[in-house]
Amino acid sequence: MRFWDKLLAVDRRWIYVVVWLVVMLPLLFPFAIRPVAMPPVEQLFNYIDTMPEDKALLISVDYTPDTEPELHPMTLALLRHAFANRTKVGVLCVGSVMSVGLGVNAVESVTEEFNQHATTNADSIIYGRDVVFWGWSTPFVTVLLGMGEKISNVFPVDYYGNTTEEMEITPHIRNYDDAGILVCLAASSIPLSWITYAQVQFGLPLGCGITAVSAADFYIYLNSGQFTGMLAGMKGAAEYEELVEQKMVAEGKDWGLRRRATEAMSSQTAAHLAIMLFIIVGNVAFFATRRRKQ
Amino acid sequence: MKKRIPLLIVLVLGIFGATAFVVPHPVVRNVDEVMRNDIIRIITAFSIVLGIGSIIRHHVIKIQRKAEHWPFSWVTLISLAVSAIIGLFGGLDPGTRAWLPTSIGGFSFHMQSIYVNMIIPLGATMFSLLAFFMASAAYRAFRARNLEATLLLLAAFVMMLGAVPLGRMLIPRLPDFAEWILTVPNTAAKRGITFGVGLGMFATSLKILLGIERGWLGGGGS
Repeated sequence: MRFWDKLLAVDRRWIYVVVWLVVMLPLLFPFAIRPVAMPPVEQLFNYIDTMPEDKALLISVDYTPDTEPELHPMTLALLRHAFANRTKVGVLCVGSVMSVGLGVNAVESVTEEFNQHATTNADSIIYGRDVVFWGWSTPFVTVLLGMGEKISNVFPVDYYGNTTEEMEITPHIRNYDDAGILVCLAASSIPLSWITYAQVQFGLPLGCGITAVSAADFYIYLNSGQFTGMLAGMKGAAEYEELVEQKMVAEGKDWGLRRRATEAMSSQTAAHLAIMLFIIVGNVAFFATRRRKQ
Repeated sequence: MKKRIPLLIVLVLGIFGATAFVVPHPVVRNVDEVMRNDIIRIITAFSIVLGIGSIIRHHVIKIQRKAEHWPFSWVTLISLAVSAIIGLFGGLDPGTRAWLPTSIGGFSFHMQSIYVNMIIPLGATMFSLLAFFMASAAYRAFRARNLEATLLLLAAFVMMLGAVPLGRMLIPRLPDFAEWILTVPNTAAKRGITFGVGLGMFATSLKILLGIERGWLGGGGS
C-alpha cells in the first residue's frame, strides 16, 4: 500500500488522539490571546452600557449543561457588566428545567466575586435588592406573555422560595416596561420565541447569545434590528469578556477575574487549525490517489 | 364523536389563540389570561404525569422482555427515583430546609450538588464528543470534488480561521470577511428559507385548525 493510500485509510482513533492533544495541551499551556470585539458584540455591550439607570437587565438562561462551556461565560460576563454598572438584574429560565442549576451557579458566583471586593453595603451586591433569580416556569408561551403584564404573576416566588412581591427589587422590575433589554442565552430557537411573544407584543428590546454552530440562523434577525446585538459562540463570549474587563479596569476594578471563554480560545484556535490541516491532508491524499488510479 | 370533539376544541381554541394575539379588547384579554395562566398550566401539569408514566412503562417493558441494552433501563429508573426523592424531600442546596438529610459528613448529595458534579460534566462530555466526530468526518468526507464543494470548503476555511484570533493575526481583514459571509450571502439564503418555512407553517396550521390535516389525532389519514 502506498503512502497516500495509507494516509486515507488511517485509523480514526489516531485522528481522535490528535484532536484530544490539540484541545488539551492549549488548556494546560495557554498562549496569550487578546480578542477584538466584532460589531454584533460591540452593539450589545454599548447598548447595555448606556441603558438608563432605571432600566433593568433581564437574562434568560436557556442552555443546558451540554453547551455550558460555550454559553456560561456569556452569562457570567453579562452579570459582571450589569453589576459593574449597578444595573438591576432579573434572571430566569424558560427553555428547560435543566438550565436552573446553571442560572443559580452564575448568579451566586458573580455576586460572590463582587462582594469579595465590596467595603460597604452600597458597594455590595445584595440578592433581592440588586439581583433576583426567578427560576424556571412552564409553559414558555405563558411565561413570555405573562411577564409582559406582571412578572410576579408568572413567578409568585423566586427560586429560593421568597415571595416575589415582597422583594425589594420587584418595584423596579414589574414587567417588560422596566427592562432595558432581555438577553436570551440558548442553544436552541428559544431566542426567536422571545421575538415572537415578547418583542412583537410588548416591544421588548432583545439580545442573544448562541452557540457558534447555530449563529448563521440568527444573523437575519440581527440584520433586521430585532436583536440589538449577538454573542456567537466561544469567540463572542471572549470578546464580551474583553470589553467588560476593559471597562472594569478603566473604573479601577482590576480584580483579575477569571475569563473562561478567553482561556478556552487557545484550545479552540488549535482545534480549528488541526481540522483545517485534516481537510488539506485528506484532500491532497484523495487527489493523489485519484490521479494514480486514472 | 371521538374525532369531532377534539377537532372542535382545536378549531375554537386555535382561532381564539390567534385572535387574542391581535385583539386588545379587555374581554378577549381576560379570557386569554385565564387560558394562559390557569388552563394551559393545568394541562401541562397533567402532561408531566403522563411523561413520567410513559418513561417508567417503556423501561419496565424493556427490562421484562430483556430487550437490547436492558440493564441501562435500570440506570434510568433508579436515577429517576433517586433524583425525584432528593428533589421532593431532600432540598435544593445546603441552605434549604429539607425532610431528608442530603449530606454525610463533607459529602453532600442535594440537588445542586448532583447537578454541578454529575449532570454538567456528563452533558458537556456528550457534546464534546462532537469535536472528535467532526474532525474525523472533515478528514474523510470534506472533498473539493466540484465547484460547489470547493466553494463550501473555502467558506469553511474562512469561517474557521475568522473565528479564532489567529485569523486576524495572519490576515487582519479576515474576521471582517467572515462576518460579511454571515451577514450578506448567509442572510440572503436564510431569509428566503425562513419565508418559505413561515408560509409552510401558516398553511399547515390552517389545515390543522380546519380539520384537513388530522395526523395528530392518531392513525393518520383524513
